[in-house]
Amino acid sequence: MVIGEGAEAQIYLENILGLEMVVKVRQRKEYRIPEIDEPMRRRRTRKEAGLMIVASKAGINVPHVIAVGKFSIYMEKIGGKLLKDIQNSKTYMEKVGKELARMHDSGIVHGDYTPANIMISGNETTIIDFGLADMSLDPEQKAVDLLLMKRSVTRGMYAHFEHAYVNASRNGTAVKKQLAETERRGRYQSRTLS
Amino acid sequence: MRVIGIESSAHTFGVGIVDDGKILAKEKEMFHIGTTGMIPAEVAEFHTDNAAEVINRALKSANLNYSDIEGIGYTRGPGLGPCLQVGYLSAKTLAKKLKVPIAPVNHGVAHIESTRLISGMKDPIALYVSGGNSQILKMDNKPFKHYRVLGETFDIGVGNMLDSFARELKLTPSWGSSIEKKASGGKYVEMPYSVKGMDFSFTGLLTKAVSMIPDVPAKDLCFSIQEAAFSMLAETTERALLLTNSDEICVCGGVAQNSRLKQILNLVAKEHGARFGFIEGALNADNGAMIAMVAERMLLAGHSTSIDKCDIEQRFRVDSAEVF
Repeated sequence: MVIGEGAEAQIYLENILGLEMVVKVRQRKEYRIPEIDEPMRRRRTRKEAGLMIVASKAGINVPHVIAVGKFSIYMEKIGGKLLKDIQNSKTYMEKVGKELARMHDSGIVHGDYTPANIMISGNETTIIDFGLADMSLDPEQKAVDLLLMKRSVTRGMYAHFEHAYVNASRNGTAVKKQLAETERRGRYQSRTLS
Repeated sequence: MRVIGIESSAHTFGVGIVDDGKILAKEKEMFHIGTTGMIPAEVAEFHTDNAAEVINRALKSANLNYSDIEGIGYTRGPGLGPCLQVGYLSAKTLAKKLKVPIAPVNHGVAHIESTRLISGMKDPIALYVSGGNSQILKMDNKPFKHYRVLGETFDIGVGNMLDSFARELKLTPSWGSSIEKKASGGKYVEMPYSVKGMDFSFTGLLTKAVSMIPDVPAKDLCFSIQEAAFSMLAETTERALLLTNSDEICVCGGVAQNSRLKQILNLVAKEHGARFGFIEGALNADNGAMIAMVAERMLLAGHSTSIDKCDIEQRFRVDSAEVF
C-alpha cells in the first residue's frame, strides 16, 4: 500500500513475515539515462540509511533501519501523527529543538527539518526522512535546518524551538549568528515558501 | 495596441512588434561571439551600428509606419551595461519623437511570460535556462505579482557552461547547439552531479569535463556533460513541481532550443501528469517580440514610466520585477 510519494521516492506500508514495515523505494526515473540514474539511486539509498543509523547510534529517535536493499530502505513503522497535522505546543517545540541540537552535535544536518518530517506519539518525537541529510559541521548548513523550521511554524513557537536548540547545542550561538547572516542575504528573502 | 519592443541585453539586437499579443514582426542582428566570447564595448558598438536598420526592417516587415506605433518597450536589465544602453537610448529616442508611452521590461520576465502566453499556460513552473541564467520560478502574488525564484544556479548559467566547454573543444561556435550536435551517439562517462534542494551548480561539471579532454573522445564528453547538466535541471524542476502542487511545466531561454532538454522535461511532466509547454526555436533566443509582448501588457495595465525616469539596471533581478 502506497502511503506517501516524494520527488524521488515512494513510501509503502508492507507486511513482511507478520511485521509491519515502512519501505522507502527510489524508483527509476525515465528522464535520466540509466548510467546516471542507477548509481545515483544506489548512492542516495545507502547514504540515507547510513545517516539514519548514525543518528540512531547518537541517541536520536529515528525509525530503526531493518534492512537496506539496492534502492530501498526497510524500516520500523512509527505510530502517531506528523507534527504538522496536530496542535503544536511549547513542549513539542522544545523537544524537537533539543533533538536537532543533538543531531547537529553528532555531525548530521537534516536538510528538511520541518513539522512535516517529525512524528509525534504521546511524548515521543521521531525524526523521519533523511533523504536530504548530510554529514556536516558547517554552521551554514546547520542554520538552514533552523531556517526551514522558522518558516514552517509561528513566531512564538519558533522562539521556543530556537531557545531550546541554543541551550542544548555545543555551538548554538554560532549557528544562531549564521542564521541571521543567511536570512539577511537578499536571495533568501524572496524565496520564502509559504 | 501596437507596441515595439527593443532587446539588447547581450549579443542580440532584436526588435519586435506586437498588437494584441500577436507578433507582427521580429527582426534581429546578432554579434558573432567567435572564439573570444563577448567584449561588452565591441558588442555595444555592433548594436549602435545596427539599431536603426533593424528597427526599420521590423516596421517594414509588419507593414507599419513610425506613426502607427502606440507604445514602446525596452530591456531594462539584467544584461551587459554598454549593450543595454544602446537599446535604452533607441527606445527613449523613439518615445520622445513619437510621443508614445514607454515601459522598461525585465529580460527574464519577458522570456517566461512570452513562453507562458504563447503556449497557453496559466501558472506553470518555469525553467529559465540561458547563457547567463538558470532558474526555476513560479508566479507569486505577494507582496506584488512577480516570479519567485524557487531554485537557481549557485555559479554560472547552463548555457555559459555548454558554450565554455565548446570553446575548450575548439568546436565552431553555433549558438550553443554545437555540444548537442557533437553529443549524438556518445557514451556516458561519469560526471559530477551537484544538486542541493532546488539549487544546482555547473562549474564542477565544467572543470571535470575540461580535465578529461585529451583522454576521452569529444563526443562522449559532450554527451555526458549534457546528460548530467540536464538531469540536474530535471530533478530540481520535478522537486519544484511536487512542492508547489503545480500541473504545468514550461521551459524558456536560449537553452530551451535544445531538443534533448525538451525531451527530458517532457518525461518529467508525463510522470506527474503535468502539461509541458515550450515555444518554437527562434523565439527562445533573445528577441524583441518578447519585450514588446510584456511591454504591451504593462502599458495596457496603465503602467508606463515617464521618459526621464527610465534607466537601465545591469543586475535587475527577475523576482524584483512586477508582472502585469
